[in-house]
Amino acid sequence: MTPSGTSRIPLVRSVLLVVVIWCAASFIYAPIFSVLRFAFAPEGDVGLGAIGELAGSRRVRTAIVNTLVVTGLSIVTVNAIGIFQVAVLEYLRVGGRGFLRFAYSTPLIFVSVAAATGYGFVYGQTGALTRLLQSVWPALPNDWFTGTLAVVFAHTFLLTSFHFLFLRAAIRRVDYSTVEAARGLGASNLEAFVRVVLPVLLPTIFATTLLVTYKSLGSFAIPSVLGGRRFDMVTELILTLNSLRRPDMAAMLSIGLGLAVILCIAAMQYVERRGSYVGGSKTPVPVERIRIASPFVNLAVHAAAYAIAVIQLVPIALVVLFSFAPARSIATEVLPSSFTLQNYVTVFSQSTAFVPLKNSLLMGASATMAGLMISLFVVNLAHRHANVGTTSLDLSFMAPWILPAPFIAIGLILTYDEPNLLVANRVLLGGFWILPIGYAVVSIPIMMRFLRAAFFSLDPALNEAAQSLGAPAFYRFLRVTVPLVLPVMILIAGLTLNGILSEYSMSAFLFNVNNKPLSIALFEGARSANPEQAAINLVYISLIMAFSLGIITLADRYGLGGGK
Amino acid sequence: MTRNHWLAGAMTLLSLLGTSAATAEPLVVYSPQGDERAVWIAEQATAAGHDVTILTAGGGELFDRILAERANPQADVVLGLIDAAMATLKAEGLFQPYVPKWAKGLPEVYRDDADRMVYKFWQTPVVIAYNADLLAEDEAPASWLELVEDRYAGKYVIGPTTWQTTKTYLVGMLLRFADDGGEISDEGWDFMQRLYDNAILVDSGDAKTAAFVNQEAVIDLNWFGGVGRLAGDVGYKAVMVDTEGGSPFITEGIAIMKGTDQLDDAKAFVDWFGSAEFMAAYAARFGQVPVHPDAIAAAPDTVKRNATLLKPQPIDWDVVAPRIDGWIQRIELDIK
Repeated sequence: MTPSGTSRIPLVRSVLLVVVIWCAASFIYAPIFSVLRFAFAPEGDVGLGAIGELAGSRRVRTAIVNTLVVTGLSIVTVNAIGIFQVAVLEYLRVGGRGFLRFAYSTPLIFVSVAAATGYGFVYGQTGALTRLLQSVWPALPNDWFTGTLAVVFAHTFLLTSFHFLFLRAAIRRVDYSTVEAARGLGASNLEAFVRVVLPVLLPTIFATTLLVTYKSLGSFAIPSVLGGRRFDMVTELILTLNSLRRPDMAAMLSIGLGLAVILCIAAMQYVERRGSYVGGSKTPVPVERIRIASPFVNLAVHAAAYAIAVIQLVPIALVVLFSFAPARSIATEVLPSSFTLQNYVTVFSQSTAFVPLKNSLLMGASATMAGLMISLFVVNLAHRHANVGTTSLDLSFMAPWILPAPFIAIGLILTYDEPNLLVANRVLLGGFWILPIGYAVVSIPIMMRFLRAAFFSLDPALNEAAQSLGAPAFYRFLRVTVPLVLPVMILIAGLTLNGILSEYSMSAFLFNVNNKPLSIALFEGARSANPEQAAINLVYISLIMAFSLGIITLADRYGLGGGK
Repeated sequence: MTRNHWLAGAMTLLSLLGTSAATAEPLVVYSPQGDERAVWIAEQATAAGHDVTILTAGGGELFDRILAERANPQADVVLGLIDAAMATLKAEGLFQPYVPKWAKGLPEVYRDDADRMVYKFWQTPVVIAYNADLLAEDEAPASWLELVEDRYAGKYVIGPTTWQTTKTYLVGMLLRFADDGGEISDEGWDFMQRLYDNAILVDSGDAKTAAFVNQEAVIDLNWFGGVGRLAGDVGYKAVMVDTEGGSPFITEGIAIMKGTDQLDDAKAFVDWFGSAEFMAAYAARFGQVPVHPDAIAAAPDTVKRNATLLKPQPIDWDVVAPRIDGWIQRIELDIK
């Protein structure tokens, strides 16, 4: 197990080790330290003045209440829809299952700011659905889709991806013989589901609930785009405080959000650990989907199942359709009457429209590459030489997983708004690279989780064989380990890039005129009254969705992130 | 050739890394004058022999950017930020003293005799205007304080407080409730609350335009030049109100950044930009009212008329500037 080889190899590794440790110190520890310093000792003296000022602000208080109300409602609605969807797909016999599965899987590709602007486009002031609804209820005001209603509605149909991924996997582990036994004892379908199936699913439902809570607490793009007048959630307020040049209050509020999120994750870990031995049968009899006996109930279930599918598909369909429509038909037609490729030509040929796409691709690619290199190095090191040092390095890069993006963003701003010795006395704020650094920091934990899984599934015999043939460590790493984890790496890179294309939280804090990313262009475009801008937005959303679809299909085929 | 390519690549990389603190390259000018105005200024500057690059962005954004870059300034000259912003940047020690040639003959309020850093070149009032196609003259507000009345509910738009214009009229209104020490009375904050409750709130120029397009908004709180532009874009006839108590005037200043490595070029540019000839040419082209008497004398008649169209509200920006952040914070966190 000891590393061998020529003297050059340890040198390469020592240099890399120094670089990686510098990254952790500069972009993880220093920002965390800055947030704590500004929150508790902005002027050098320790104090809690920021808490008092936050509590004194009406808008902050309202935002906290809004966030809690939205989260509470979202937990109920997302679970109701998510559990129903899983029951329809895996427990009940409902016609058109393939179609429904496709519709229910769309939250995987319709995410973040792309989804928010998509919803804004169809339900907003001049949206096609708003006008359709107004033809039925003429009294419906233009701006009906705002505030808590809009945000909870969007959460309800956009945050079911966890149920689709995890709950579906869990229900497949239910032993059908137990369901049959219950029914044999006289239980109805519903009773069997509630008494036998649900208890097995409960740990997973609890875990998805916590994920929804986590997502909802930090919700940013959706309330920003759809919240409307005088509706803020906590993350938006952190951004406002930052722009008011009150870093102490922004830091304190992001700590509050961070604590709430950490609490969620701690609860999740606890449930995950407990859930592992409650999780169903080892050799289950596969669930046979149940035919609903009552024609009335059957009809109601079908109606609800298809209604949900329609609600999830229609915004996407309209976005894609209108992206091929002339700009003038946006906001004037319910369905486009003619089609053109002009909007796509504009995005790829007009520099102002192309720049955000180019920026996002460039920043996404560099963040992904840097993140992947760091993850690979750290995971490989921790895998091969498990000791206190490598474990703490590993944990350092996992830390951003439990910290909300605004927390890290505020930390980066506060650390690098003046020359800092860590980066050769440069100022990073206002420059191009601060945003890709932020992207990399929040992407690394998920990369490391996947890579670690890949490393643990490696056959150590291969490495030993290469070693016994005299291959030095670095050569073995390049010729044996890397080719084996390469497919995983490529997929992780794709998934990360995909995430960054519509990343909003980091972007909103760290972007500037040099690097305006796609998500910010989408956000700004969503407020534009100009149909040309709306058309460009629709192209952006369609491109993001197409990219996501490609990556996720690929990932699903290789058993990563999909059905598992 | 390959060597040149390599060099070009290295330069690009360096500038991407943000290390290109003003090298022997064009003079970098930060200005909120956007679009054709910036293009025109750059063209004229080139024609006059100045090698400049103008970086344009919103006034608030540029202000934040200059503060953020304070340790590593990218700009050599700042022009077009308004009184309060220039006063703050000056107080932060970001400017280099220089008395332009055109300071001679400039009225005292536009000079900076104490610090010799910021000189004002043109002025513009922030006004109340209304859509005369939809609102009769006697229905229009006669003063800023009337906006809170019920009959104007949902008829005017308040933009984001990061806009220089928004900041200016909010400060102008608040100042009417200030005591001698500059403290705003409770009555003033109540007024501000009602002003916001009564308004359409937007966070982008497009959203503001939309409110006028769909005819919800008929009263435009805007800077002088912006009134005509919005009315032209939307297609209505705008009439400005000479309000009781006056309208706040903002003046835009020019200053050289401390630490510029092109001090001589910067001085030459400042001398040229504020000169009566260029100011008069700019006035002729864009209708902007200059402040230098020689420039006004050389400007077209419409500009001369505009110079005296509205009564100014007296505001001492040096006193007000340090308080603005606190007021805006209160508006953002408690009122909005």
